[in-house]
Amino acid sequence: MIWLTWRQFRAQATAAAAALAAFAVLLVSTQPRMTSLFSASGIAGCHSGSCAGLASAFLDQLASATPFSGHAFDPLPDGFDLYPFVYTLGTLLILAAPAIVGTFWGAPLIARELETGTGRLAWNQSITRTRWLAVKLALVAAAAMAVTEAFSLLQTWWATPIGRAMSLGGSASVFSGNRFSPLAFATHGIAPVGYAAFGFTLGVTAGLIIRRAVPAMAVTLAIFAAAQIMMPLWVRPHLIPAQHATVAIGRDVTLNNYTVTNGGAPRFALTTGTVPGQPGAWVIASSAVDRAGQPVGTIPAACVKQFANSDGGLDCLGGQGIRMTVSYQPASRYWALQSAEAGIFLALAAALAGFCFWRFGRRLG
Amino acid sequence: MTAVIETEGLGKRYRRLWALADCTVSVPARHVVGLVGPNGAGKSTLLNLATGMLAPSAGSIRVLGAKPAAGPAQLARIGYLAQDAPVYAGLSVADHLRLGLHLNPAWDAALAQARAARLELDLRQKAGTLSGGQRAQLALTLAVAKRPELLILDEPVASLDPLARREFLQDLMETVAEQEVSVVLSSHLISDLERVCDYLIVLAGSRVRVAGPVDELLAAHHLLSGPRRPGDTMPAGIEVISASHTDRQSTLLVRSSGPLLDPAWTTSEVNLEDLVLAYMKQAAGRGERARHLEVQR
Amino acid sequence: MDEEGTVIEFHLDGRSGVPPYMQLIHQVRHALRLGLLHQGDQLPKVKDVAAGLAINPNTVLKAYRELEYEGLAAARPGVGTFVTGTLDGGSFAALGPLRTGLQHWLAKARRAGLDDESIEALFLNTFRTAREEGIA
Repeated sequence: MIWLTWRQFRAQATAAAAALAAFAVLLVSTQPRMTSLFSASGIAGCHSGSCAGLASAFLDQLASATPFSGHAFDPLPDGFDLYPFVYTLGTLLILAAPAIVGTFWGAPLIARELETGTGRLAWNQSITRTRWLAVKLALVAAAAMAVTEAFSLLQTWWATPIGRAMSLGGSASVFSGNRFSPLAFATHGIAPVGYAAFGFTLGVTAGLIIRRAVPAMAVTLAIFAAAQIMMPLWVRPHLIPAQHATVAIGRDVTLNNYTVTNGGAPRFALTTGTVPGQPGAWVIASSAVDRAGQPVGTIPAACVKQFANSDGGLDCLGGQGIRMTVSYQPASRYWALQSAEAGIFLALAAALAGFCFWRFGRRLG
Repeated sequence: MTAVIETEGLGKRYRRLWALADCTVSVPARHVVGLVGPNGAGKSTLLNLATGMLAPSAGSIRVLGAKPAAGPAQLARIGYLAQDAPVYAGLSVADHLRLGLHLNPAWDAALAQARAARLELDLRQKAGTLSGGQRAQLALTLAVAKRPELLILDEPVASLDPLARREFLQDLMETVAEQEVSVVLSSHLISDLERVCDYLIVLAGSRVRVAGPVDELLAAHHLLSGPRRPGDTMPAGIEVISASHTDRQSTLLVRSSGPLLDPAWTTSEVNLEDLVLAYMKQAAGRGERARHLEVQR
Repeated sequence: MDEEGTVIEFHLDGRSGVPPYMQLIHQVRHALRLGLLHQGDQLPKVKDVAAGLAINPNTVLKAYRELEYEGLAAARPGVGTFVTGTLDGGSFAALGPLRTGLQHWLAKARRAGLDDESIEALFLNTFRTAREEGIA
């Protein structure tokens, strides 16, 4: 059965290996230039608190760099930013891999055998349907998880300098945010393994229920995409109860939704992306509050003029006792959150697999 | 002689339609059993129930003494050839033989290779490019080389040209002569089955109409012709299966348990095709005209 | 079917109404009568006949057993079935008088006014009835 699984899976495995190899080649060929830029940037030796400037400078430089340093020959078109492209490509590949695996490896697994009738050949040899499914599920799921995680590890290795710079507060072009940003979180660590397992078993289940490969592929894609969107929006922030703090209005505060109304005080909202004393934290929600801790939505009279002149408005608010309340996850919780997310998807995968065994082993119609 | 397939009130329902109803048969071992009936009569349903592809809606079925697809040991004793001989289009003939080798502990590799050579199958050819007859032969090889006790073939020759059909049946008969295996094969054409079957089950309208050894069935059924006899009843022990009348003459196909003594009837023997057609007609309700001639029990 | 070593090749007429096993028996008898089969010849193997004609091996077995019963053949387990009897010569002597008796009967039937088909129907009816009574 192992031989048969491999023989039927051979083409897909080759395609995945080829994609992985091509990606690796791209990464390996572009890595040396980035490394040399990084060493020249001085970030490595920077220990003071103002490394953000150096970091941003490096990232800025990287955003327009080419890998052919010192060569007059540059085959890339003008305006094409290679390193942001590779970075984004990697992210997209890791996000897409579970969806692809679910759609092209999972959905046809049972559905094609039912559709073409070959199931009647395979399931009337001397092994039970349950055993057939067990071997297929185990081997292909393992391959799916391995491939997805391989893409992720390759990307993580290649982007080490970028990650270092971003964690120091630097940002430029696409290299912004921290490891908690939605795309970064889902494509690093162990989360990809969970997504891969879930995507694959989702596909197999869809194929079993719908019994036809192409509709099953469409349904798998749709449900998986929905899950990929729902997780960072509604579930991830609450995987572990967030911590709360009230902080002074600092430099990293953004003014939003500033609207001037006729006859009333202008309305506004404040958000921040960092928490003082919590480097690398993930801010889930933030807003302005007054001394008593109540939300503040309109600009106090004393500060209207400063806002109108766009000069010192935020300082004025601070002087009025207005501060920020933030809900956040500290950086130290990164791995706990990763494990929780991976765990949820692995549990879902296991549940789907269990359902498949129950339904498939008993009857086909 | 033990039964290879035993069913008791077996039925299968899809929504409100019974694809097979009230099926009670005992298929004897070491026979070539023909399952014949029109399309949609329930033949494939019965065979799918026998292989465990479907679960019964009513009644029970036991194959080789156990529930269908009860476990690897039982699966190993049954060789199955599905309708239209499905094969993996992307796998070569040799790959298929390897499939048989890996998935069947009792696989006879020498037999498989010998058959493939005799049938002149190109081991490296992709199964998707084989002709219909070659696909059927490959599928039969897979079923036979696992050395089963029971071979179940679902309409194996339905989509084959006459030459391929003949070659397939020749090959099957040689296998039966060599291996002492029980065979159940279905067809909607009695002409396919006539020469190879020694036991017959007629399925029509989702029910079993008649079942028994071919010799006994042929001996028990007769074609009677004689002057037109409206409103007559036949003596006890004689069942009219189908009847047709002209102005002057009646022709009846009857089943009798004893000799026919009425000199007014001319008796002639029945061939298998007429017998099957008569039962299929009866199932379709076209035997209505002769209803009043049926025996009053 | 393997040509080597076979002395008789069977064929079947699906339309004749005669059961296959009977056709096989007739063909063996016919071959014996014509001197194509001799005592000691081996009849084709059951497997080969079944495969060649695409018929059930039991049908062939039935024919061979019937031939054994009639004393025309004998089975040697593990080897095959061999011809042991003959059909020519022995009955030659009886042919002449039988032929004459038949000619007389035919003349009588004509004088009674029977045409060809009536004669044939009468003969076949009587022949079949007698056969059934005789075999049962």
